[in-house]
Amino acid sequence: MSTNTATADPASHRLSDTLREAASKYGLIAVLLALPVYLAISDLISKGNLTDLGNNLVLGLSNGAIIALVALGYTLVYGIIELINFAHGEVFMIGSFVAFGLWGTFGISEGMAVPGMIVGLLAAMIAAMIVCGGLNVMIERVAYKPLRNAPKLAPLITAIGMSFILQNVGILWRGSSQASVPDLINQSNDLVTIGGVVINNGDVLAAAVTIPLVFLLTSFINRSRLGKAMRATAQDPDAARLMGINVNTTISMTFLLGGMLAGAAGLINLLYQTSIWYFQGFQAGLIAFTAAVMGGIGNLKGAVLGGLIIGCIGQLAEFRIGAEWTAVVVFAYLVLIMVFRPQGLIGEETREAG
Amino acid sequence: MRFNRATALGLLVPALAFGVAACGDDDEGGGGGGGGNVAEGTTLTIYSSLPLQGTSRGQSEAVINGEKLALDEVGGKVGKYTIKYVSLDDSTAQNPGTADEGKTAQNARQAVRDKSTIFYLGEFNSGGTKVSLPILNKAGIPQISPSNTYIGLTTDEPGSEPGEPDKYYPTGKRTYARVVPRDKIQGAALVSVMKEDGCQTATLWNDKSVYGAGLARNIKQSAEQNDLTIENEQGTDKNSPNYRAIASKVKSDCFVWAGVTGENGVQVYKDVAAANKTVKLYGPDGVTEEAFSNPKEGGIPASVGARTKTTVATLGAKDLPGSEPILEKYKQEYNTQTVDPYAIYGYETMALALDALKRAGDKANDREAVTEALLSTKDRQSVLGTYSIDANGDTTLTDYGLYVIKNGQPTYSKKIEAAVS
Repeated sequence: MSTNTATADPASHRLSDTLREAASKYGLIAVLLALPVYLAISDLISKGNLTDLGNNLVLGLSNGAIIALVALGYTLVYGIIELINFAHGEVFMIGSFVAFGLWGTFGISEGMAVPGMIVGLLAAMIAAMIVCGGLNVMIERVAYKPLRNAPKLAPLITAIGMSFILQNVGILWRGSSQASVPDLINQSNDLVTIGGVVINNGDVLAAAVTIPLVFLLTSFINRSRLGKAMRATAQDPDAARLMGINVNTTISMTFLLGGMLAGAAGLINLLYQTSIWYFQGFQAGLIAFTAAVMGGIGNLKGAVLGGLIIGCIGQLAEFRIGAEWTAVVVFAYLVLIMVFRPQGLIGEETREAG
Repeated sequence: MRFNRATALGLLVPALAFGVAACGDDDEGGGGGGGGNVAEGTTLTIYSSLPLQGTSRGQSEAVINGEKLALDEVGGKVGKYTIKYVSLDDSTAQNPGTADEGKTAQNARQAVRDKSTIFYLGEFNSGGTKVSLPILNKAGIPQISPSNTYIGLTTDEPGSEPGEPDKYYPTGKRTYARVVPRDKIQGAALVSVMKEDGCQTATLWNDKSVYGAGLARNIKQSAEQNDLTIENEQGTDKNSPNYRAIASKVKSDCFVWAGVTGENGVQVYKDVAAANKTVKLYGPDGVTEEAFSNPKEGGIPASVGARTKTTVATLGAKDLPGSEPILEKYKQEYNTQTVDPYAIYGYETMALALDALKRAGDKANDREAVTEALLSTKDRQSVLGTYSIDANGDTTLTDYGLYVIKNGQPTYSKKIEAAVS
């Protein structure tokens, strides 16, 4: 029995591949730029300036920086054991709770001297990172490690279970309502205005914490022995084991790193949003996981890029179209990106992807 | 097709089960508007269903305390009947501060199954009453809400949705009343205050709930009639971490949010206040509570509170002299110095129910007779003033109070003369 593939012309195959690749590359660029370019032209025609667009993008980037921090935790874990750690968003929520709880312990309050506040907040951040890192390792040991050789659905369900357990821990800890927390950094204070585009304290905080942490993480993954072990385990755990790498320790360290990032993001979120809620992790986790997929799951740069893009799209949609359409626009973007580039913007770095 | 005994049995069992379920449903909805729907025994039960978790907890507890106070005043008895009071929670840990649809339906069904039920007092949220009212109406159980203001529960006036209010009364007979004026009045009250404060333009957001969206429609309607320009209408999502993008579009003189605290109200006001340093802030009864106004309770910062005014359909003691003895009694009974505005509504809700039972006389155990007594309330002299309940179940009261925030507490400022047309 003959098939179409058997009789197809190799030259036409090459042409269709080239066309598909071009459509994927340029189509993706067109998709990404369509909304901002349209809005830029519309602003220039109607207002003669790009101030609104600039303000939207600044706000989007600072929101996106926090999403990126959470997304890194998802992508780290997925890259190494191909598990969607649904509990990661809740670890981030616990990070906020721990950091807020420590404000009182460290005597951090509104109106205190700046040096004292910086030291106090750094101490709270380190504590939140330690607690969340430890919690993430514990979750891995209890809920995922025993299921390493089980069908993929089993750890997925335990991950969802851990997510609900932590949500209820949050309810028991601080109640079930959204609560406002003191605005320690005066986050809405206009710091600099450039051509009508306002950069405030909150924007600077998000960038000042996210950029160094991402830089440190990528350096650690690329240069340290443990980072190399993590990459080796991600590529082929059996081969890594044969090369003398302790795979279990490496996986635990990945969870530790992911949890620490969630802890830091928890504090930044607290300072940036000035509110706290047991459900904040579920919401942020969903968006962050979307960012990780959009950027290319398992890829650190992809997670950051995905976070920033989602932050910007979200703000543009909210400002221009209306708050009720934000999720529609963000997920429509995700669908379009996946259609043009199923492996995400930068490409997956997983065993499945090769 | 082979039709053996096993197949026949297989078809028979589900058919029987369906039949039993259908009979059960009939039983649950028995009464059909109350025809011969008599509560059993000499102990009659009054159910209360309110959100006891989350931000509305303080208001709900005030309502419950007020209801208990009114019941204690008659010694827990009406004529030959002893009144049993059962408080239910219509919220859940996962859906706090407001009525959870599933839990609310469960509460209503519990009241229906209880053959001694004579009244159901609730829900706090109009969205909850949308769920409980048809269930209770089918069973002929009279219902009074201490706080519902959504217009579509009782009338088809502008602000309601198609099919309202008839869809809430499957028997075709009215069984519901409320002691607070509907949102047509509150919308007009908010517009009156904004106009009085010199607002020419107002940004109008709502929390997308039944209550919030309905109130927003009423505010808009009243604004159109009173030359107040409404700008930038938005629905806010409770789960949104912040509202900074849309807040940056607020350029009006005034801002009003039709919503309840539990729908992320604190974040809404914080973000709007930060984005526009001069805008005057207004809110409805849904945010007139400590969980919203007190920073120590997770509410808005004092600086935002100083710019915020809210409306509630209750007046302060100075404009409602009849309430003073009750307020004093409440303070003594519950050992408190501050009385949530909703305590008075709780008190009046129970007092109205007891009054209807008393007027039903020997038929105080007959749900139809009690409903008839409730809906024929005329010129009742109450802690809220003198009012009647009209055929729709609405109060004839139109007074609204203006509240400002002092030391984190909603504090009565003055009576609003709302321009209702």
